[in-house]
Amino acid sequence: MLFHNYKYALKILFKNKMLIFWTFAFPLILGTLFQMAFSDIEKEEKLQTIPIAIVKLSSDQNSMVPEIFEHLKNGEESMFDISYQDEKGAKELLEDKKIDGYLILSEPLKLVVKENGINQTVLKFVTEEILETEEIMKNVVMLEMNKADTLDEQFYQSIYMKIEKWKQENQIELNNISNQNLSYTMIEFYTLIAMTCLYGGILGLYLVNQNLANQSANGKRISVSPTQKGKVIITSALAGYTAQLIGIALLFFYTICFLKIDYGENILFIILLTLVGCFAGLSLGIMIASVFKTNENTKTGIVIAFTMLCCFLSGMMGITMKYIVDKNIPILNRINPASMITDGFYSLYYYDTFGRYFFNVISLLIFSIFMLALSIKSLRRQTYDSI
Amino acid sequence: MKNIIEVKNLTKEYKNLKAIDDLSFEVHEGEILGLLGPNGSGKSTTINCILSLLKFEKGTIQIFGRPMAPNAYDTKREIGVVFQDVAVFEELTVEENIDYFCGLYVNDKSLRKQYVTDAIELVGLNEFKKFYPKQLSGGLLRRLNIACGIAHKPKLIFLDEPTVAVDPQSRNNILDGIEQLREKGATIIYTTHYMEEVEILCDRVIILDKGKVIASGSPEELKELANMEEKVSVEIETITEKQLEEIKKLKNVDEVHYHNQNLIVIYKKGKNNLITLIDYLGKERVLYDKIYSERPTLNDVFLELTGKELRD
Repeated sequence: MLFHNYKYALKILFKNKMLIFWTFAFPLILGTLFQMAFSDIEKEEKLQTIPIAIVKLSSDQNSMVPEIFEHLKNGEESMFDISYQDEKGAKELLEDKKIDGYLILSEPLKLVVKENGINQTVLKFVTEEILETEEIMKNVVMLEMNKADTLDEQFYQSIYMKIEKWKQENQIELNNISNQNLSYTMIEFYTLIAMTCLYGGILGLYLVNQNLANQSANGKRISVSPTQKGKVIITSALAGYTAQLIGIALLFFYTICFLKIDYGENILFIILLTLVGCFAGLSLGIMIASVFKTNENTKTGIVIAFTMLCCFLSGMMGITMKYIVDKNIPILNRINPASMITDGFYSLYYYDTFGRYFFNVISLLIFSIFMLALSIKSLRRQTYDSI
Repeated sequence: MKNIIEVKNLTKEYKNLKAIDDLSFEVHEGEILGLLGPNGSGKSTTINCILSLLKFEKGTIQIFGRPMAPNAYDTKREIGVVFQDVAVFEELTVEENIDYFCGLYVNDKSLRKQYVTDAIELVGLNEFKKFYPKQLSGGLLRRLNIACGIAHKPKLIFLDEPTVAVDPQSRNNILDGIEQLREKGATIIYTTHYMEEVEILCDRVIILDKGKVIASGSPEELKELANMEEKVSVEIETITEKQLEEIKKLKNVDEVHYHNQNLIVIYKKGKNNLITLIDYLGKERVLYDKIYSERPTLNDVFLELTGKELRD
């Protein structure tokens, strides 16, 4: 009976054109569009060093800002080509489009740009980061001063240590937005995989919906049969998971072989993350199928809308969104399954350690268990108040 | 006679509404029991309670002498259900659908193959077995719905309004199929609001209204509850008031109505009332076109008992 149900569940999925489109064809189409849209930007982005000017208000002005800008690297190259000017000179350079913007080391730090573009966005982002962290540092100093009884050598040493620490942390923070990490294409493809994993929930949703007596006519028919409900649901979910994995394998095959996307070398970890990601998608689908009491099309719409929202927040429609969420509402990315998947791939690609990767894998598992726990009451129910 | 189903004091409430009100009845082995009632009378709710799909507040249900429960798998194995809503997979062909649902009851692949062939034969879908549901007409779809419910050759079959919105050809095919199932020994519970089907098929009828049994018995026994024996309708262009009065005085006549050139004469009892009326019309030289004689229907019984039509 188990194989009978599994076989027919697979058959049902692969013959449903709507399901096939959303879970198989749509990611391939989107992947192709991403490649067409972002590959040129990526090439330009990798080669470009951003010309800027820094305006010191006095020759002996002491600021860490130029040092920070000089430290930022674009691979082996410097991220910024810095020239030191007076304000008039900087203005002229900007008018002549020889620089993309200039910084005035005033109090507070002032950035002047003339146009909108990627270089200006990067420049603005770095400046904002510096200003924000500087503010934090000032607060630290003020706090220390208020705590200190006397401004002795120990006090200055303590402040010095904290500033050094801040500089190091600041360096790390700024490195995170260096050019390597601004790989548009890779982030887009990570979110694409996340989207495919979560869209897979539609498959689980469809099958489980067909098994519940209070949700569909087929569910009523299955419920009055002598086959245990749990067995039917598990085999249906397994079939959904199988179809999901076939879909994601197809996406990897297509993007690697035809779009020449390099997902890195940690193939086993990539497989593990994909398996867990698909499981999260399946759990999401099962939860929506069993908890929401509405028609199947609406439920499918809920999965699609939820997935798109998650992918949007994790950077699918623009990498800036991921940073905005990370910076302002970090908890959102901690509970967003698309962010967990995206960040898992991101950490595999950019870091040598696996701490962040496993954090995301475990977060996805917790998300999946939570979804299944929400579903369990409805799934276990055998008689209903109304159908 | 052996009872296949025993329902005692079944009560089902939806908030403040009593959908089934202290309902008790039995179904005997080998019979076709009709559950007749208007929409919302509690027919489908009764079936869903018997099948343990719905919770109920009070009462007991036994099938094959065993208490019915969601996990009474041995009992469920002997039951076939055809729900009012068509329950098939759009992605599977006629043959695959029947095989899938039959597979929930029958593990043996070769036996199942035979059962599927028999079911297709029974509902007359041989030509359509490779068709997908959306390629079938409403009537053929209903036939597929039936085949999916009975392919495993159950001893007890629930048919919940299986002929709703089907063409006459499919309806006849479905009714023939049900007769065949009975001949093979199945016990059938048939819910409908089509009284003609009940009269053709059912050995016994339970008439439900507002979740209560308002009458039960064989169709003939029930018809005796109607307060008339015969109704004659005659299409007449003109008739005088005096003639109407005289018709009223004819033997056995209870009521006379003339409306829209249609004379209706209701007789309390007796046979051969039609001849008396034709004789009178001939003698009075009243010209008439068509003339019909009808016996009371279950609808008349329902009207008599509740004051409303079955299809209200």
